[in-house]
Amino acid sequence: MAKKILIVDDDPDLVEAVSTILESKGYEVAAAYGGVEGLEKAKTESPDLIVLDVMMPDKDGYVVCKELKADPKYRSIPILLLTAVVSKLSVTRYTQQMGMETEADDYVDKPVEPEELVRRIETLLSK
Amino acid sequence: MGEVGKILVIDDEAVIRDGCRRILGKEGCEVITAANGEEGVKAIQKDPQEIEVVLLDLKMPGMSGMDVLEHALALEPSLPIVVITGYATVDSAVEAMKKGAYDFIPKPFTPDQLRLVVNRALEKRKLEREAERLKAQAARSLKDVATEKSKVRTIINCMADGVLVTDREGKVVLTNPAAGRMLGIRADTCLEKPLYEAVGDEKLIEAVQGVLKPENPEVATISQELQIGDSLIRAHTAAVKSEDGEVLGTVTVLEDMTYLLELDRMKGEFIAMVSHELRSPVSAIEQNISLILEGLAGEVTEKQRHLLSRAKERSRGLLELIGDLLEMSKIDAGMALQRKEPLQVEEIVEKVMELMEAEAQAKGVALQFKITSPLPPVLGDRDNLEGVFTNLVGNAIKYTPSGGEVKVEMSPEGDYVKTVVSDTGIGIPKEDLPRIFDKFYRVKSEKTRGIVGTGLGLSIVKSIVEAHLGSISVESEEGKGTSFCVLLPRQT
Repeated sequence: MAKKILIVDDDPDLVEAVSTILESKGYEVAAAYGGVEGLEKAKTESPDLIVLDVMMPDKDGYVVCKELKADPKYRSIPILLLTAVVSKLSVTRYTQQMGMETEADDYVDKPVEPEELVRRIETLLSK
Repeated sequence: MGEVGKILVIDDEAVIRDGCRRILGKEGCEVITAANGEEGVKAIQKDPQEIEVVLLDLKMPGMSGMDVLEHALALEPSLPIVVITGYATVDSAVEAMKKGAYDFIPKPFTPDQLRLVVNRALEKRKLEREAERLKAQAARSLKDVATEKSKVRTIINCMADGVLVTDREGKVVLTNPAAGRMLGIRADTCLEKPLYEAVGDEKLIEAVQGVLKPENPEVATISQELQIGDSLIRAHTAAVKSEDGEVLGTVTVLEDMTYLLELDRMKGEFIAMVSHELRSPVSAIEQNISLILEGLAGEVTEKQRHLLSRAKERSRGLLELIGDLLEMSKIDAGMALQRKEPLQVEEIVEKVMELMEAEAQAKGVALQFKITSPLPPVLGDRDNLEGVFTNLVGNAIKYTPSGGEVKVEMSPEGDYVKTVVSDTGIGIPKEDLPRIFDKFYRVKSEKTRGIVGTGLGLSIVKSIVEAHLGSISVESEEGKGTSFCVLLPRQT
């Protein structure tokens, strides 16, 4: 059975792009367009992995991540955080902060190379 | 007589006029004469200040001496007029004196009598002039003082900064409306009161006491921030000293910082807004381009691939620019160096080298890292220094063709830790070297055309290094390579 991936991002274009990439690799895709909806779907859709945007107006990715990881029922769902930090100066800073401040399983900069995204997801799913 | 004075003689008798001219002329006086009243008045009218003394015959045909007297005094009230009375009657002399004549001399008179009476009149004129001058001067300086006082008062009252002055006992002697507003006090109720009664803030009271009775006489000014209600006030308290160093009182200048905090908050919000609203669409554009390039939206021709690749590079450049601008604004706002700690720079550089390894390998550039001897710790901001070396090493890789080498060497140098990042890249033309640390400056040439950059990187690097009290310099030879040298002061 195809693995199900939940994409949470307030930008519909990005959701579509990521969906297209994942669907091309045979994944089943569910989409949520905000933090609150994402949290809800994480519980109702029981995805195998969540691709989670950080900056969302209603509830940001850190909070969604924290809430899911605090719940024993959903703690095991791997979360791949999507950040929008591109400046080289900030990249290393972010890797540090991300590692320290969130319990996300991995993170990737937005925009992401399709190959890179797929590789990261495969790694997380095989753990 | 000594001094030259103009004396007007009004008499219808030529003998008197000539006599006066002769006698007074010898004394150095300039004598002018008039043969009748009308002529005399005209002479006075011409310039009343010019004439020191008037000798006036009372009995003349035409206009009488009394009329001339009235006219003359109307023109110049302090003009001494000596009347010459031909028939020596006390009555007419007394009448003239009543009307304001200064003195009289009976006809006939001797030269000595004339000299005596004219001298006295001249003296009187001189004293009166002096008195008038002093009076005017006093009036003027009184006015100056009043003007100065009111000017200073107006300046103080109009100032946006608060001013609070105390005497040496710590009693409030002056406040302005801004101080009242910031401290929540009223000028009229706190004057002459001790500071602790007038002002509630303990830190301020302490500062005033501190400069009034300094434990260390070197301490002349105390600057601090006061939290009063919702406002943040910066207060500078200084002693007012006399010429011989005695403390006479204190002046506190208060600056309302609340609006700055507000500005800072707004700036933070703006940055957050920009980072989301500006980055997101560009990210989406790039994400979609990647998708198409990957063939996930159908077959892509070679030409399309080329064009899309360029488009993607440009959008990547735009994203980097947005990122750098945000970084810049943080540094400008002084946020860059909030977390200074003792650290080993070589650990940071090593980590950066590890992170850059993949990029270098992909490009076929060799990375080398060397530390010559143990390095002292540096007081710095870890994240920012990481940024500095990520930028320098990243640049070196970016501008070095495949097969080249990027070398990082670290060594202690006096009170500094020296880090040299050198490459065997395309180099920087001599004429561009002085400007490479400028914001938005990029070397434009055939060789750099294919390399995407924002032109902000090195200016950020320089700001960070300088915020650490360090320095950065560059040497380069076109076609051979570039080397950047960063000096960071050791922790003291």
